Amino acid sequence: MAGKVIVVTSGKGGVGKTTTVANIGTTLAKKKYNVVLVDGDIGLRNLDVVMGVENRIVYNLVDIIEGKCRKEQAMIRDRKLNNLFIIPSAQTRDKDSVQPEQMKQLCEELAKEFDFVLIDCPAGIEQGFRNAIAGAAAAVVVTTPEVSAIRDADRVIGLLEASLLKEIHLIVNRLNQRMVKKGDMMSTEDIVSLLAVPLLGVVPESEEVVISTNRGVPLVHERGSKAGQAFQLIAARLQGENIPVDMGNNGSFLGRMKRLIWNS
Amino acid sequence: MLKAIRRFFGEKASGQVARKRMQVVLMHDRLDLTPDVMESLKNDILAVLSRYMEIDDQTIRVDLEQGKEYTALVSNVIIKRVYRAGVNLPEIPLPR
Ligand SMILES: Nc1ncnc2c1ncn2[C@@H]1O[C@H](COP(=O)(O)OP(=O)(O)OP(=O)(O)O)[C@@H](O)[C@H]1O
Ligand SMILES: [Mg+2]
Repeated sequence: MAGKVIVVTSGKGGVGKTTTVANIGTTLAKKKYNVVLVDGDIGLRNLDVVMGVENRIVYNLVDIIEGKCRKEQAMIRDRKLNNLFIIPSAQTRDKDSVQPEQMKQLCEELAKEFDFVLIDCPAGIEQGFRNAIAGAAAAVVVTTPEVSAIRDADRVIGLLEASLLKEIHLIVNRLNQRMVKKGDMMSTEDIVSLLAVPLLGVVPESEEVVISTNRGVPLVHERGSKAGQAFQLIAARLQGENIPVDMGNNGSFLGRMKRLIWNS
Repeated sequence: MLKAIRRFFGEKASGQVARKRMQVVLMHDRLDLTPDVMESLKNDILAVLSRYMEIDDQTIRVDLEQGKEYTALVSNVIIKRVYRAGVNLPEIPLPR
């Protein structure tokens, strides 16, 4: 059976796409699935450093597409998991060096060998976005609880729907529970009702994310990390497990009363 | 503390303000009401109304309004004269 191709996208930059790809991919690989992560951000290579494999790049995505190497030659094996691979993007090439049709073909080939093909989409809605979504059967839209990220997510969801991508999931990243409780951040419920896409999970704002990125070791390798656990749950849901989502804001009774008074 | 006092006197929490604003913004984005579309919407409304009354077509306004539970399309226009029932109805074809 062919594997599943999933694109992780957002519209707005810097909301956590690469972090999400690294952590979901690592979790799925730890569960013994064969996984390949594709850095679709041509010109702004990032997934390699987040995964800690930046020193082992020989060939890249554009090389595969231009026929300069076989795809196996460009795949880098993960440092810890031998069923997890990374295809780095080209750092010195233009987004236009790849066409959607070529991406689609590559995704089809990868899906024959892997259970999951995760594509790290560049920010924006131009050529790079169209390339990244071309071969995907499902999309994970990442947003933060901020107005600009949500607006861009809505735009991206519209474009995904227009390109007939039916399976769309939402991740709310960098939720700050303290601010939600104070009423100074939109809650997960607010965001879900605005965007009207099923929620895959909520990742808290966490220093651990920055630290694990510094080390180039995805957070899900760490035990006892809240954000890491959130990513593990997300991966489990993505792979079909039915686990209810903790909206991340079931505050105290006092907090609810305060909100009731303030918001009325 | 200062914030708590301001809120006590009716200032809304910023999260709630954001939610309200996003409801309106996303509605606009999704409808994609470009100036062109707005203009033809206005003209269509004017054409329909002028079958029943004489209106000041310079005054028409069309806006999206966000209520608590709904989004409304609100149009305001000044009426100059209403025709008597059944009399003098001008034959203006409906658009489309
Ligand atoms: N939950 C979180 N808590 C704290 N920091 C986070 C969290 N998620 C992501 N970050 C940080 O935010 C920054 C951007 O994350 P990331 O690179 O994953 O975003 P991106 O969407 O891939 O960005 P780009 O659009 O540039 O590709 C990184 O420095 C990352 O460490
Ligand atoms: Mg990125």
